[in-house]
Amino acid sequence: MTDTRLDLTRIPIIKKILASRWLQWSLVAGTLPFFVLAILTGLFGTPAGNRNFGIVFVWIVWWGLLMLVMVPFAGRFWCAVCPIPAPGEWLQRRSLVQVHERGKLFTLGLKWPRQLNNIWLQSAAFLIVALFAKVILTTPFVSAVTVLIFAGIAIATSLLFERRTFCRYICPVGGFIGLYSQVAPIEVRVKDHALCATHHDKACYIGSEKGYGCPWLIFPATLDKNTNCGLCTECLKTCTLDNIALSVRPFGKDLLTNKGRRLDEAYRSLMMLAGAPLYTIVFLGPWAEIKEAAYAIASPGWWLYALGLLALTLVVVPGIFFACVALSKFIARTKASSRQFFVEYATALLPLGLGAWASFSLSFVLVNISYAWQVISDPFGWGWNLFGTANWQWTPYLAGWQAYMQIPILLIGLVAAIAIAFRTTGEQRGSSQAALPIVAFCVAFTLVMVGLNF
Amino acid sequence: MRKELFALTVVFLIFVAFPASLWGYQAWRTNAGDTRVIALTANAPATGGWVPDTIRVNVGERVRLRISSPDVAHGFEVPTLGIRVDEILPGHVEEIEFTATRAGRFPFACTRWCSVDHWRMRGTILVVDPANPNPPLPTFAPPLYQQLKVDIDAMHPTQNTPTQKPSAARGALLGIAIADDLRMKSPSDVFTKLRADAMLRSYTDLQLWDATALAWKRTAGDTALARGQKLYARDCAACHGESGQGDGPAGRNLPGMRAMDATMRKGPADFTDAAQMLGASDVLLQGKLLRGGMGTGMPEWRSLYTDEEMWNVISFLRSFVFDYP
Repeated sequence: MTDTRLDLTRIPIIKKILASRWLQWSLVAGTLPFFVLAILTGLFGTPAGNRNFGIVFVWIVWWGLLMLVMVPFAGRFWCAVCPIPAPGEWLQRRSLVQVHERGKLFTLGLKWPRQLNNIWLQSAAFLIVALFAKVILTTPFVSAVTVLIFAGIAIATSLLFERRTFCRYICPVGGFIGLYSQVAPIEVRVKDHALCATHHDKACYIGSEKGYGCPWLIFPATLDKNTNCGLCTECLKTCTLDNIALSVRPFGKDLLTNKGRRLDEAYRSLMMLAGAPLYTIVFLGPWAEIKEAAYAIASPGWWLYALGLLALTLVVVPGIFFACVALSKFIARTKASSRQFFVEYATALLPLGLGAWASFSLSFVLVNISYAWQVISDPFGWGWNLFGTANWQWTPYLAGWQAYMQIPILLIGLVAAIAIAFRTTGEQRGSSQAALPIVAFCVAFTLVMVGLNF
Repeated sequence: MRKELFALTVVFLIFVAFPASLWGYQAWRTNAGDTRVIALTANAPATGGWVPDTIRVNVGERVRLRISSPDVAHGFEVPTLGIRVDEILPGHVEEIEFTATRAGRFPFACTRWCSVDHWRMRGTILVVDPANPNPPLPTFAPPLYQQLKVDIDAMHPTQNTPTQKPSAARGALLGIAIADDLRMKSPSDVFTKLRADAMLRSYTDLQLWDATALAWKRTAGDTALARGQKLYARDCAACHGESGQGDGPAGRNLPGMRAMDATMRKGPADFTDAAQMLGASDVLLQGKLLRGGMGTGMPEWRSLYTDEEMWNVISFLRSFVFDYP
């Protein structure tokens, strides 16, 4: 089988950059001022969300970059540059750039509970944020406090637990970035597994004078999906055998294997799938009552909204999918467990979900991105005009073209989902007809998204 | 170690020097030398109104107001000081400078219909003369409606309602002169007097109403009518409706209406109701504008309108029952 990957570490300049201890610090130092400004503007700037840097840059610019550029094209690259866990990691290492005592970490070193060694907690955190999303995404002060809470938890977990426990098990954003990063055409992988098997120093996991052991608690030799690799490049620095590569690869390569599929990840992909139309309704839809209910926290309308959101994400959508899986299993007449079917078919939902979120994000960003020009010049809403753009008017970009841009995105996700559904059926050696219920589910979902957007 | 120190310095600059520079820039930007800078926040009345709602300045002191809105678009006006900002958009800061040359209390208000309770959004600029910080309270002559003992809460129907809208243009063709002081009398009073005049016996009722309409228009003058129209659009139309029928969106479900006398009209006055409007004198209408109330949430305008503005609005109100070309 031809290797379709392009090992970027073969390019000397890239290899040199990846080996540099300055790399991650430089990236975080680049995002940190934006983070600090977002917090300050959220706490002390105007409460008018569309004129506050904290709201516009976090929930429009960053979100747009994340869902339209970083996740689809660079996987977990955001995790490598995210400033939220950086202070905790620096405290843990007592260093910002260099390596102390062969990568020793200054932490209580508590073990993360085994029961939480999954993404259920991240999914719960995401749901909590989703319940209050309308307020968090539009109210600068609440938004800043929310991000500060995440930063506080990140620091606390860095001091209590080992490595990047927050990113791996708690961060509500990390969970879905990890899932969707499987689509991205970039990966960190071991070049030769046999070499790892015979190599005993395991510096990539325990650290060395050149770098820290994998902050994401991954033994690189076992990496076969992007899900939990934060692209921090520590393993590229520590591997004494130069056996780890950062490669460009075909899109969605991780989706071609069902090895290591997990129930928590399958369920999360369904939650994310349900979230895309919900967010489209709440943030882009014309239904004022739903928007008001989502905003009026603790009101009877909000409780109804919260109940609806929880029911859709936790019960209705997973329930419909499970029914489709059961039908598929019945058609396939296989002895494989329903759980296995459920988990493996859920892989098809990743490109479908990413397409839906990218479609929502495209519309959301094009409608709102012009606020960015105003807040660049006047981040606090204090009457500044740093670059002369403070009074530029709000303009939804490409208003007549959004639909034509969203449909291909949704269709790409649908086609990939259908292809994976048939491939999964093939792997289970069932009749290809067994994939039809899953295909019907994916088509119906796409039609819902199309209906909501047009 | 030097590398680490460099990295630490950069992070320190980001966490400490960067925020400090932002606040420093703001302090430098808002430093107005001898001018005193006062931040004024325009919140919708339900969330606090003007903050602060009382601004104390000294006579002769140069003041710069930095007005911002956290919620919706507001306006700002201190009519008696001649200061106004037409639009304060959420997240924007509008600045206006003034120097108060005389001591006194100068009410200010929002000039945009920002919410249902917009009319409650008022405040006061208290201008104090440091040389005479406690001057005696000024005395004012009582308003005309009090001097004339006009009961502004009583119904004021006309006994002579025209069959169609009286026209000032038609009235101009008749050559009937009216010498009365129109502010003191209602159109109905004037019509009744004309009708009783034996010299005018040959004229129809409608012609006499046309002559009455012309008299009111001439007394007001085109300039006053135009000013009154602008003020009506800005301050009255939200409740009383663009066409004066009392059907403005902000006038629905006013809190006071449920407690009103069952015989009274529920809601803002209908200025197209000839039976009521032709029976009301300008003085009576002025009284209603001055005092407000009427149990409906009608605001008082005494503190915000000059006498001239008050009469301008009243003149314009007549255009709802008189046809002015």
